[in-house]
Amino acid sequence: MSKVESGRINPQTAPARAWLMGIAGWLIPGLGHLLQGRWGRALLLGGAVWICFISGFMMGGHLFIYSGSEPASSSLLQIPPMIGNLGTGLLYIISWVTGFGFSHEQQQAALPTFEYGWTFLLIAGLLNYLCMLDAFDIAAGRKS
Amino acid sequence: MRHFLVMTAFAALSAVVFGTVAKDSNRERVVYGLKVFAEFMVIGLVLAWILYFIPY
Repeated sequence: MSKVESGRINPQTAPARAWLMGIAGWLIPGLGHLLQGRWGRALLLGGAVWICFISGFMMGGHLFIYSGSEPASSSLLQIPPMIGNLGTGLLYIISWVTGFGFSHEQQQAALPTFEYGWTFLLIAGLLNYLCMLDAFDIAAGRKS
Repeated sequence: MRHFLVMTAFAALSAVVFGTVAKDSNRERVVYGLKVFAEFMVIGLVLAWILYFIPY
């Protein structure tokens, strides 16, 4: 067995705590690190994701969701950004339940920062996936 | 000016996350974060100038 192969950890051997930390980190950005006592990391990572998410809305951005009401190809195009948005966990779920942030009025779309807005919301989700994996790795003992 | 500020904010936030999750020591993290920030900014400005000269 090569060195690289022997260094791999089977995902099934990761402790349940690691999965819990990963899920916590996904649900609330920064919580996965906070629960492990990594205050600095929680503040930096969670703070970056929260700032990204809030400023995305402040710039007039909107979240994506698969509605199925549009023509087939248009609906399918909503899936990749929706997966990105889903990375913000509870923030996306609360927005979805309350129906906040999914529609965009003409006034909102006319804002010069409209495109930046939904890009920031998308990036917030993608960055939180990285944070979630980091929290998982720390809890699994793969990282210090 | 607004576009530049938004690009800077994007580069800074991304660099913070990339720098924090990568590398092992704090010094390496800071250096890597600054490198990522600089790369985002330089590539963004270069792309902006390239697109500026494309008339479509």
